[in-house]
Amino acid sequence: MVRGKLLPAAALGLLLLGLIVFPLVVTLPYPQHVMILIFLYAMMGLAWNIIGGYAGQVSLGDATYFGIGAYTTVILLRDLGLSPWVGMAVGAVNAVIVSVILGYPCFRVRGHYFAIATIALNEIVATIFTNWEYVGGAVGIYVPILPESFVNLQFHRSKTPYYYIALGMLIGVVLLNVWVGRSRLGYYFRAIRADQDAARSLGIDITRYKLIAYAMTAALTSLGGSFYSMYVLYIDPTSVFAFSISLLVVLVAVLGGVGTVAGPVIGSIILISLSEGTRVLLGGTGRALDVAIYGLLVMAISVLQPYGIVAWIRGLRRPPKTREVKVAGPAA
Amino acid sequence: MVRRVSRREFNFGLVGLIGGLAVGCAQTGTPAPGAGQPPAPPAAPREVKVGAIYPLTGPVASSGLDCRYGIELAAEIVNGKYDLPLPLAREEGLPNLGGAKIQLIWADHGGSPERGQAEAERLITQEKVVALIGAYHSSVTATASQVAERMGVPYVNAESSSPSLTERGFKWFFRTGPHDATFGKNLFDLLRDMEKKGVKVRTIGIVNENTLYGSDANKITKQYAQEYGYQVVVDIAYPANTSDVTSEVQRIKANNPDVLFQVSYTSDLILFIRTYKQLDYHRQVMRGDSAGSDVPQYAKALGKDAEYAVTRAAWSADITAKRPAAKAVAEMFQQKFGQPMTENSARAFTGMLVLADAINRAKSVDPEAIRQALLATNIPGDQTIMPWQGVKFDEKTHQNIYAQGVNLQIIGGQYYTVWPFDLATREIVWPMPKWSQR
Amino acid sequence: MTPDLLVQVVVSGLLIGFVFALISVGLTLIFGVMDIVNFAHGEFLMLAMFAAFWLYALFAVDPVFSVLVCGPLLFVVGVLTHKLLIRHILNAPMLAQIFCTFGLSVFLKSLAQFLWGPNFRSITEPLLGGRIEVLGVFFGLPQVAAAVGAVLATGAVYLLIYRTELGRALQATSEDRQTAALMGIDTERMFTLAWGIGAACVGVAGALLSMFYYIYPEVGAVFALTSYVVVALGGFGSVTGAFIGGLIIGLVQVVAGFISPAFKMVVVYLVYMAVILWRPQGLFGRW
Repeated sequence: MVRGKLLPAAALGLLLLGLIVFPLVVTLPYPQHVMILIFLYAMMGLAWNIIGGYAGQVSLGDATYFGIGAYTTVILLRDLGLSPWVGMAVGAVNAVIVSVILGYPCFRVRGHYFAIATIALNEIVATIFTNWEYVGGAVGIYVPILPESFVNLQFHRSKTPYYYIALGMLIGVVLLNVWVGRSRLGYYFRAIRADQDAARSLGIDITRYKLIAYAMTAALTSLGGSFYSMYVLYIDPTSVFAFSISLLVVLVAVLGGVGTVAGPVIGSIILISLSEGTRVLLGGTGRALDVAIYGLLVMAISVLQPYGIVAWIRGLRRPPKTREVKVAGPAA
Repeated sequence: MVRRVSRREFNFGLVGLIGGLAVGCAQTGTPAPGAGQPPAPPAAPREVKVGAIYPLTGPVASSGLDCRYGIELAAEIVNGKYDLPLPLAREEGLPNLGGAKIQLIWADHGGSPERGQAEAERLITQEKVVALIGAYHSSVTATASQVAERMGVPYVNAESSSPSLTERGFKWFFRTGPHDATFGKNLFDLLRDMEKKGVKVRTIGIVNENTLYGSDANKITKQYAQEYGYQVVVDIAYPANTSDVTSEVQRIKANNPDVLFQVSYTSDLILFIRTYKQLDYHRQVMRGDSAGSDVPQYAKALGKDAEYAVTRAAWSADITAKRPAAKAVAEMFQQKFGQPMTENSARAFTGMLVLADAINRAKSVDPEAIRQALLATNIPGDQTIMPWQGVKFDEKTHQNIYAQGVNLQIIGGQYYTVWPFDLATREIVWPMPKWSQR
Repeated sequence: MTPDLLVQVVVSGLLIGFVFALISVGLTLIFGVMDIVNFAHGEFLMLAMFAAFWLYALFAVDPVFSVLVCGPLLFVVGVLTHKLLIRHILNAPMLAQIFCTFGLSVFLKSLAQFLWGPNFRSITEPLLGGRIEVLGVFFGLPQVAAAVGAVLATGAVYLLIYRTELGRALQATSEDRQTAALMGIDTERMFTLAWGIGAACVGVAGALLSMFYYIYPEVGAVFALTSYVVVALGGFGSVTGAFIGGLIIGLVQVVAGFISPAFKMVVVYLVYMAVILWRPQGLFGRW
C-alpha cells in the first residue's frame, strides 16, 4: 500500500520540479505564454469544478466573475493606486457578493434552465459594463503602466515572474480542490449532485450549499480575471466577459474529467496546446484550417472518451469491467 | 447502451493526437533558424523578416484577408522589379541592404487582444522579425503595439482608426492611415460645403454599434456636431451582430433627423440598409464606418440598395484617375487575387510600402535605425496610391499628418469620389432618392 | 409613441418572432427526444443559408423554392450528426454532449470559411422583395413570407408529433426511452428522426432567412443564443412552447429596442429570468 502511494507522490514531485525548472530552461516568451495560459485555464477549470463538478450545477456564465475580477483590479489601481494584489482580494469579495445575488434566483431552476440563466446573466452584466462610462464603456481601460515589481504585479522584460505567479495560484487552487473533495462540504456537494431531492430529505440545505459552491467558484475565477488584467494590460467588456471564456473553462474540465482534481489540469494542457499548436502551425493561411482541425479533434475526443481523460487513465489501470456509468442527468 | 468505440481504437486516436501535439509544440518551442545569431547583424541579410498580425479567422476574417492581400502585393512590388512610381518598385529588393528581400511572417489573432499580444511577442522573440505591421482591430493593435514598445521594435499600423492609439505617444508606434477624428471632420466639412450649396441641414441622428469602434466614432460625431452647430436629435448605440434592427430604424424614423450618421460593421449595415428600405426611411445617410464595411461585398450583397449613402474612405478605386501608380497596382491586385482592391487592401499596401522604404533608408535592420528612418519619412503623395498629400509622421504622436479621407458615393454600382469637390469624379447626389423613385 | 408607430413596432416584433420560433422548434425537438442541447444549431442555420445562397447564385433558384431543397438537405445533415457523433455518446453526461456539439459548431464554422471564404453574401433580388403597406403599416414581403413559412413548418411539425403514430412514438421515446424500447419502438430510429426533423426545421428557417439576411460563416452566432433562450423560455422539449416563446422574444426584443436599443437584449434576458422564476420548467415545459 505504501509503495502504491509513494510512486504517485514521487511522480508528482518530479512534475512540480519540472514545472519550476521549465522557465529557466525554456526562456523564450511564447512557450512560457502557452504555459501561463495552461495554468490560467487549469485554475479556472478547477474553479468551475467546484460548482459544476462537485455540486453538479452546470454554470455557463463564469466569465461574469472573470470580468469582475479584472475590472475591480484595474479600477482600484487606476483610481486609488491600490496594488493589484489588493484589487485581487477586493475583486474576489465582489465576485462572491455578485455570485450570491445572481445565484440565489438561478438556483431555483435546474439543469439546462440553470445553464441558460447563467449565460443570460453574463450577457446582462457585460451589457451594463459596455454602457457604463465610469468603467471605460465599450472602449475599455488601458492599465496604467507601473514600474516592474512583485507588488505592482507588472513585469515588462520577462514573462518568467508571471509564470511563477500563475503556477503558484494554480497550486493553491489545486490544494483547495483537494480539500473540498475530502471535506464535509464536498460530501454535501456530491450529495446535491447525485440527487437534490434525496439530499434535501437528508436535511441538507441545498440552496445554501449550492451558493457556497458557487461563491467559491466565483472567487477563484475572479482571481484569474485579476491576473489576466495585469498580464494583458488592457481590458474591455468584449474580451473579459466573453462567452468563449465561460465555455472554455467548462471544456477543460469536461475533457479532463469532471469532479476530479487532475481532470481540469489535464484538460487545460490538452486543449490549450491544441488550439495554440494548430494556430501556430496552420494559422496565418487565412483559411481557418487550424480552427477546423481543432474542432475535429474536440469532436473526436468527446466521442472517443466522453467521460474524460482521467476516467480513461483509471480504466487503463484497473481490470476492465462494465463502464456503464450512470451520471445524473441534467434535470435530476 | 454500450459505447461502440473499443479502448484500442481510442488508444490509437489518442496516440495520434498526442503525437500531433508533440510535433506542434516542438515546432513552437524550437527557435526559428538563425535565432542563435545576434538579432541585428550589421552585414546585409538576404531576407528581412516583417511580422504581420491580422484577423485571419473569426467574424472579421474577410477584412483581415483584404489587408493580407494588400501587404503581399506591396512585398511583391518591393521584392521584384516593376516600372511604377512607387518607392522601391524599380529596384529588386532593398537596394541599401544589398537587394535583401522582404519576407512576411503571418500571424492570426482572430480579434482577440490577448492573442495579438502573444503573437507579437512570438514574432519578435522567436521569428526574429525586425518590424511589425497590423492588426486591423484597434483593441488588438493596442496590446500588440504595447509589446513592440516594450521590446523596442518598430510597429507600423495602417488601418486601425481609434484616435487613442497615437495619443499614447509611443516611441515605436507609427500610423500611416487617417483616424476617426479626421474621418469625422471630413463628413462635417462635407455638410458645411453642402450648406454653401444651399442644402439646409439642422438636425442629425447618430446610430452606431456598441463596441470600441462605434463608441469612439459616436463621441467624435457628437463633438463635431456641437462644433459645427448641428443638433443631435437621436443617438442610438445598438449591440453589434444583433438579429434585428427594425426597432432602431423606427426610432430614427420617429425622430426624423435631416442627416443620419451611421457606424456599423458590414453585417449590421446590410441589415440596416435593408430595413431602411423596408420601412421606407430615406434621409441622407452618412456612413462613418468605412473601416469595417467599405468592402465590395457590401455593394455586392445589397445590389442597388447600397447606392447613394455617403461613405468616408481613405482610398477609392477612382483615385486611379489622379494617381498613375494606383491604376497599375489595382490591376495587379485584381489579377493576382481575383477580387477588386479595397480600401483596406490599399491602406495595408501603403503601410507595408512605408515600412519597407524606412528599412531601406535605415540601411540596416537595427531597430533604432529603422525607427529614425520612419521618423524621417517624407513620401510625396504622387508616390503613393492614396489620395493623400503624402506620408510624414508627427514627431510626437507618429500619426501621418498628411493622411486624409475622401467621401464616396456608390452610383450606378460604382464608387465615386464626391468630396472634396476638387477631387470629385462625380457630382454628389443629395438628398438620397426615395426608395420608390429608384 | 403614436398608435400607428406602436402597431408598426408590434408587427415588426411578431414578424421576426416567427423566424425565432421556427429556428427554436428544431432545437427543442432535438432536446425533447434526446435530452441534448445542440450547440451547433446556429451553424446548421448557417449551412442552410449558404445552401439557399448557392442555389440562388449558381442555379437562380429563389429561396421560396429552395426551401424544398434546404429542408431535406439539413435533414441529412441532422441524420449524419446523429449517426456519426451523437449515437456514440447517448449515455454520456450532458457535458460530453455539450463538448461534442461545441466541437461540431467550431468545425462547421471554419469549414464554411475554408470552402466559401469569410465574405458576406446575400440574395440581392429575391422573388419576394419589397414591401406591402396596409393602413400606413409596413410589412416587408420577405419577412411576411418567412413568417408564413414558419407557421406552416411549425404547424407541420406539431401535427406530425401530436397527431400521427410516428409522433406518438417520438413522444414515447422522449418520455422514457427504456420503456419505449420495451414497447417495441425502435428508439434508434426515433433519435435519428428527431435529429433529422430538428435540423430540417432549421433548414427551412435558413432558406427563409436568406431572403432578407446577410450570409457568412459566423452568422449562426447571431441567432444561437436567442434560440436557446426561446427554447428555455417555452420549456425544453415543447414545440408549442418554442413557438410562443419565439413570438414573445421577438416582440420583447423589438419593443425594448425601440425604447432603449443598447439594453434590448438585457430586457430579453430579464424576461427569461422572470418567467423561469415564476415557472422553473418554462412556459410549457414538463419539468
